[in-house]
Amino acid sequence: MFTRRRLASVLALLTLVVVMVSCAKRPATTAASAPAPTGVAGSTGPSAPQSTPSAPAQPNAPAASSPAPAPSAPSTAGGARPVPREFAAIADLRDIFFDFNKYDIRPNEAKTLDANAAWLKSHENMLVLVEGHCDERGTNEYNLALGERRAKATMNYLVAQGVQANRITIISYGEERPVCSEHTEACWAKNRRGHFLVKPR
Amino acid sequence: MKRPLAALIILLLVLAVGAPLTTPPPSRAQGVDVYINITGGGTKKLNIAIPEFTVTTGTDPAATGKLLASVAGADLTFSGLFSVVAATGAIPADNPAALKQSWTDFAAAGAHAGVHGLVALRGARTEAEMRLYDLTSPEFRLIATKKFEMPSDQPRRLAHKIADEIVLQFTGELGIADTKIAYVAGPRGAKEILVADYDGFGVRPVTRNGSINLMPVWGPDARSLAYTSYKNGYPDLFRAFPFERRPEQTLAAFVGINSSPAFSPDGKTLAMTLSKDGNPEIYALTLATGTLRRLTRHAGIDTEPSWSPTGQQIAFISDRAGSPHVFLMDSEGASVRQLTNGGHHTQPRWSPRGDMIIFTTRQGTHDLWAISPDGSNPRRLTAGPGDNQGAAWAPNGRHLVFQSNRLGAFHLYAMLADASSEAMAVTHGSTEATSPSWSPRLP
Repeated sequence: MFTRRRLASVLALLTLVVVMVSCAKRPATTAASAPAPTGVAGSTGPSAPQSTPSAPAQPNAPAASSPAPAPSAPSTAGGARPVPREFAAIADLRDIFFDFNKYDIRPNEAKTLDANAAWLKSHENMLVLVEGHCDERGTNEYNLALGERRAKATMNYLVAQGVQANRITIISYGEERPVCSEHTEACWAKNRRGHFLVKPR
Repeated sequence: MKRPLAALIILLLVLAVGAPLTTPPPSRAQGVDVYINITGGGTKKLNIAIPEFTVTTGTDPAATGKLLASVAGADLTFSGLFSVVAATGAIPADNPAALKQSWTDFAAAGAHAGVHGLVALRGARTEAEMRLYDLTSPEFRLIATKKFEMPSDQPRRLAHKIADEIVLQFTGELGIADTKIAYVAGPRGAKEILVADYDGFGVRPVTRNGSINLMPVWGPDARSLAYTSYKNGYPDLFRAFPFERRPEQTLAAFVGINSSPAFSPDGKTLAMTLSKDGNPEIYALTLATGTLRRLTRHAGIDTEPSWSPTGQQIAFISDRAGSPHVFLMDSEGASVRQLTNGGHHTQPRWSPRGDMIIFTTRQGTHDLWAISPDGSNPRRLTAGPGDNQGAAWAPNGRHLVFQSNRLGAFHLYAMLADASSEAMAVTHGSTEATSPSWSPRLP
């Protein structure tokens, strides 16, 4: 009895493998192998059809009892995001720092941000990338969100100071890119930062 | 010896019938007597003997017979249900008198059950047979037999399958030895995703892009992993197929963060965190159609979705009440309620059994806690040393894997979710291991 059931499951598995292999060979039926599409908020959104034509809704659907695969890669379409590694740090733009688990701009950091905003307004040809960072405390997932909020709060401040929003891109690195690696408050304080990089338009 | 065990078995049968929390497939359940109630804590362990496997065909220069017994024995010990009775040497083949003598000796040593393993080494294929005996019965009754076959380069997997079958025979539910753990390895700034067997053996890479790769999460089919990667510059969500020659898929590449993936139990929906609309919010992506639904609407941080096993509720983290806390909502984003109070709580992970939610509490260092979905019975699972966080459930809802820096660098440890067992180190060495995800049982 076990043997027969085992054979059946082997056959089912083989069927599955055949279906999967044939799918994998099919050229670009989905966006899976395409470069990551990029976009900006407010673009056409995830339900926009993929650029590749005739993508089957469920390429693996015939495989019995196979859970639904992710056939298409929903993502934004529209304007491309600038490439982060094309940006470079510059001495004129100084880091700002945050309190633990906070993303509001500290009063004593406002002066730094005012200076950064003034520099950006006098260098209209420069795009700016604002990085949000966290210390190692807290958990990775939460810190990714926290770094995002720090970068966003920083961006909002710059915009309020008159820097055009379309010159600013933000990115959160969570706790993944510390500048200081010791497990001390002095070190953590350096890592809870907003960092600025620029590149010409 | 006999009578107390018989009474225990009857008691456990009654308990199992009274509280049928596990529902094995009917076809598998036939002929399976439930000897051990695995739903309660403080389970009395069953003593089981696993001598080296008897080689029936071929030569065994690699000592496969010995390996099968030791790996399956380690699996049964890890299950928390068995105490493995020490054994050396194999039982001779086709020798009923020798078999009976072996079981007599093991029964005298306190064993309640005995596994006679037979292995046929046929070149590229290895066949094994598991014969399970009740050593508490006068005639050493044969409880069950099952045959397995595996490529000869995967003897550990063969042993895991045998151990899982033994667990099935005694509990009505397959064991979890034939599973994988995906995790993140490497220093900050250069993290790759790896997959290993549940016991840390057989490590193989999933990503090799030299970027930062984070938060792998298994799909319920045990075939794919969703994860966040900076490989295209920004934190985007991808899906990899570690066992197939199949290209990665881009799941979400919106402006902002694309993170914290969580497959619904039926695999049809992926909950995730996106900040494309201004701040981190939780969305549900229907994989077949690409339809995206926003589930949270709040000015604060909402992240880390974790589905209930019914797929009807989602636990998540929000800082809407100040510091981060565990909240619950239904799968449409309604009926939001706060589950934890005070302190700093992240990483909710809903048990596959549905009866509890694990989370991480920060009080100087991090430790694992559990709470019932109705908010009752909050309890601490770890108390140092170091940080203990990032827990993931095994598919049986009895074991957890988590990361701890108790010995310095972060490594993965696995333990029973009621913390009744000492944690087993899953990863070792100088490379840090974090962010584990325990696969479903492999197909």
